[in-house]
Amino acid sequence: MAETCTGSRASEIFTTLEYGPVPESHACALAWLDTQDRLLGHYVNGKWLKPEHRSSVPCQDPVTGEELASCLQAQSEDVAAAVEAARASLENWSTLPGAFRAQHLTRLAKMIQKHQRLLWTLESLVTGRAIREIRDRDVPLAQQLLQYHAIQAHAQEEALAGWEPMGVIGLVLPPTFSFLEMMWRICPALAVGCTVVVLVPPASPTPLLLAQLAGELGQFPGILNVISGPAFLGFVLSSQPGVQKVAFCGAVEEGRALRRLLAGQGPELGLALGAESLLLLTEAADFDSAVEGVVDAAWSDRGGGGLRLLIQESVWDETMRRLQARMGRLRGGRGLDGAVDMGARGTAARDRAQHYVSEAQSQGAQVFQAGTVPSESPFFLPTLISDLPPACPCTQAEVPWPLVVASPFRTAREALALANGTPRGGSASVWSERLGQALELAYGLRMGTVWINAHGLRDPAVPTGGCKESGSSWHGGMDGLYEYLRPSGTPARLPYLSENLNYDTFGLAVPSTLPAGPETGPSPAPPYGLFVGGRFQAPGARSSRPIWDSHGKLHGYVAEGGAKDIRGAVEAAHQAAPGWVGQSPGARAALLWALAAALQRRESTLASRLERHGVELKVAKAEVELSVRRLRAWGARVQAQGCTLQVAELRGPVLRLREPLGVLAVVCPDEWPLLAFVSLLAPALAHGNTVVLVPSGACPIPALEVCQDVASLLPAGLVNVVTGDRDHLTRCLALHQDVQALWYFGSAQGSQFVEWASAGNLKPVWVNRGCPRAWDQEAEGAGPELGLRAARTKALWLPMGD
Amino acid sequence: MSAHQRGTELDLSWISKVQVNQPAVLRRAEQIQARRPVKKEWQAAWLLKAVTFIDLTTLSGDDTSSNVQRLCYKAKYPIREDLLKALNMHGKGITTAAVCVYPARVCDAVRALKAAGCDIPVASVATGFPAGQTHLKTRLEEIRLAVEAGATEIDVVINRTLVLTGQWEGSDFIKTSTGKETVNATFPVAIVMLRAIRDFFWKTGNKIGFKPAGGIRSAKDSLAWLSLIKEELGDEWLKPELFRIGASTLLADIERQIYHHVTGRYAAYHDLSMS
Repeated sequence: MAETCTGSRASEIFTTLEYGPVPESHACALAWLDTQDRLLGHYVNGKWLKPEHRSSVPCQDPVTGEELASCLQAQSEDVAAAVEAARASLENWSTLPGAFRAQHLTRLAKMIQKHQRLLWTLESLVTGRAIREIRDRDVPLAQQLLQYHAIQAHAQEEALAGWEPMGVIGLVLPPTFSFLEMMWRICPALAVGCTVVVLVPPASPTPLLLAQLAGELGQFPGILNVISGPAFLGFVLSSQPGVQKVAFCGAVEEGRALRRLLAGQGPELGLALGAESLLLLTEAADFDSAVEGVVDAAWSDRGGGGLRLLIQESVWDETMRRLQARMGRLRGGRGLDGAVDMGARGTAARDRAQHYVSEAQSQGAQVFQAGTVPSESPFFLPTLISDLPPACPCTQAEVPWPLVVASPFRTAREALALANGTPRGGSASVWSERLGQALELAYGLRMGTVWINAHGLRDPAVPTGGCKESGSSWHGGMDGLYEYLRPSGTPARLPYLSENLNYDTFGLAVPSTLPAGPETGPSPAPPYGLFVGGRFQAPGARSSRPIWDSHGKLHGYVAEGGAKDIRGAVEAAHQAAPGWVGQSPGARAALLWALAAALQRRESTLASRLERHGVELKVAKAEVELSVRRLRAWGARVQAQGCTLQVAELRGPVLRLREPLGVLAVVCPDEWPLLAFVSLLAPALAHGNTVVLVPSGACPIPALEVCQDVASLLPAGLVNVVTGDRDHLTRCLALHQDVQALWYFGSAQGSQFVEWASAGNLKPVWVNRGCPRAWDQEAEGAGPELGLRAARTKALWLPMGD
Repeated sequence: MSAHQRGTELDLSWISKVQVNQPAVLRRAEQIQARRPVKKEWQAAWLLKAVTFIDLTTLSGDDTSSNVQRLCYKAKYPIREDLLKALNMHGKGITTAAVCVYPARVCDAVRALKAAGCDIPVASVATGFPAGQTHLKTRLEEIRLAVEAGATEIDVVINRTLVLTGQWEGSDFIKTSTGKETVNATFPVAIVMLRAIRDFFWKTGNKIGFKPAGGIRSAKDSLAWLSLIKEELGDEWLKPELFRIGASTLLADIERQIYHHVTGRYAAYHDLSMS
């Protein structure tokens, strides 16, 4: 009887040739949930933690709504317990030889291999993502990540000498994320000797399973702890004593809020925000392959977000036709079905998509939907939006999953302007069979990752990160390791919060200055004014501030810079940027060396200026000499930038490029008025940045002396020096939306303000938290840390084949 | 294949504009095979469909009328009757799409098929198969003789000397290769050919058929080929007029899989008749 039933079905399918369901059994996922009596707590110190009197949240199947388990919500004391466990295991774990940690990570990779079916069915069941993607891509990648980082741990003593693990790391993950996002971050952290507390959103069983697998290895139970709870616990976790770094990935606005909250708090903050990607399709592309790139990016459950698609106008019709035809063949459905392209991601994701579509439609955009999805509610059709008016709010907003927003461009130059014209700087792909054009576009895109004629490739050895509002943290490769390291001997980060700092008024007013008696400075006096755009200019406020020497006598006056002067300086720096970036490393080095020589010629003047500020002549001469050496050293280091990576299963190289940050603002410390100024200026210039500097407040004269040589040697606008009230200038720079990075060496309050204000454009900041720095020491004055901070990484994938 | 495509002016600018990115095509080829598994009843039905696309082929130097006859019988009865019955597919005329032989064996095949009382077409490879390195005159004569002997479909080996020097020819069907090369029907190559067929259809409205041949041996492979056609060209190409699989041993594996689907057991060698 059963056979005839099958038979009639078969004859029907024979005619229609339709696809059938290919359900993957999730019995083992349910069985695992049963071992926890369908009640998930937290996994801390190698044990399940299920405290009493906690509220719980149901973990539901996103498709059927069936309740799979209930998940306890952590409270502050649970977070504290997890951090305590991580702290307790830190000493042992971080002091182990790297080879031991390598072994442990390898064992975890094996453990994952043994339980991979459980891992992929559970992940697909609760997230709704297509199981094919998790099984064929995520789980193998998770194992590769562990293996890659085991090797890094093994080589750590040698390759990362001079660096030490930061300590306890807090990791905060967003509501819709793949467990891979966690793996990308815990692997490097554990490898270098940090211990981790992961805060996952309610109802995320997979990270708990991973923690259990790690815990069941027996040794080192406390190195990986997972707690689940509401988003606000992210702040609680960050402010636990001992947490040295918080890695946050999630939505841009949440990241911004956390950046503000954590100003002046202990931990460093690494942000990875947003999930939108970009695809640039030129007329010289293999269109069908590019269309597959769009599918990979937006409709295959690979990426987390939507896609912005830029199509060259001349091939708009042709590519749209192909894209729409391809969309018709996409299949959505339950993630556990092995033959679907796209799963469901729950009602929140669907509502976001719907909201964007309605908004776009109301602005007159064209919306095209195709493909097949089951008619039940949580699914959303693959959607292509075009003709979005440029002024519409949607155009600037992040494109949500599973939407693709297409717009035309005419020339490569316009494509770059459009692509770089959003606040996001995550990943992009360029599709062109013309090598020159593809490289030109790839180099011009301000993104963390660029693929040429491919989209969404990942590898543990390739750093992945971003710039602008996508946050500037890295995972993968060496860059991923440095995220969890600090130069050896750096003191632990403690909160330096000043409760009464008023962000609204900090540095707002500039104290007025009056004539203060006869000037006793040497003659000839250094040129008066702000050094902006290659020449000395009078300040906008047309007032001056007195500089006193070490005997309390009036040394002279420097210009009182203000908001308008900062604006002008930043503008000048932007104008100089393209020329400087375009210079070869050799040319940059030559100019730095020329500046070094000029400094050497000016030695006696500079030494006497320093002497007036109470520096012994011998020490002053040493400071000048050391400054000269710094310029030469960074000039030499420019030559060795970037490298080529070789990646498994990819024919062709991946380039790890080091690109300039853009306009880098530097607020120099009061101490070492010449040496600190040069030590900061040199790496910034060497890496192709243009700079706006605020020199030492007490002793700005040596910096202005150097500017005379800068004026004659370097292109105008490359270096701009603004004197004035440091708090006021810091405020202007920190709040400036078009300053790409800020280094601040000053007071604790200033540091806190800079951290808070950087949330505006999420510029990476480096602050000294009110602590002095040994600028005359090699490690602190010219160490690799400066080089790391002076540029950002871009991974450029170049698959080859004919 | 009665309605021949009328052809169009040869415009080489189409070809020169085509861009193919090899690594991307390789990735797509991998994806297609992984993303559309077909199981259970769907698998059985798809496999039966695959049977109807097969050009059941014997191209050996030692072919004689007896093994050609056996081949023709297998073409007429590709799947054991009781298995078809279990699937409710008996009496629906499931045969292979054609038999494919050397020109000299065409008359054997025609005779055998006539004896079996069926109208399965006989295809003949021709024109100096597999190298094609003979004179145009003998090549044309070979086609004429094969047609005379009763072949209704001719697999022509194009003159690759001309192709490699940029001088193309037209056809109703394009075939991945002769099946006798070191590398034959591969997915990446097929993807490029299928996209060319689609582009040609979009430009002219003419549908060109596609025949992968060589190396397609397992039932699983044949499913992948079907989904490849379905994904790249669509259901309208999934009919014997537009899609063929050139194969000799594939049919045996398909029959084995259907045996397993129906009975739940794996077949012994002697459970199924040879071709």
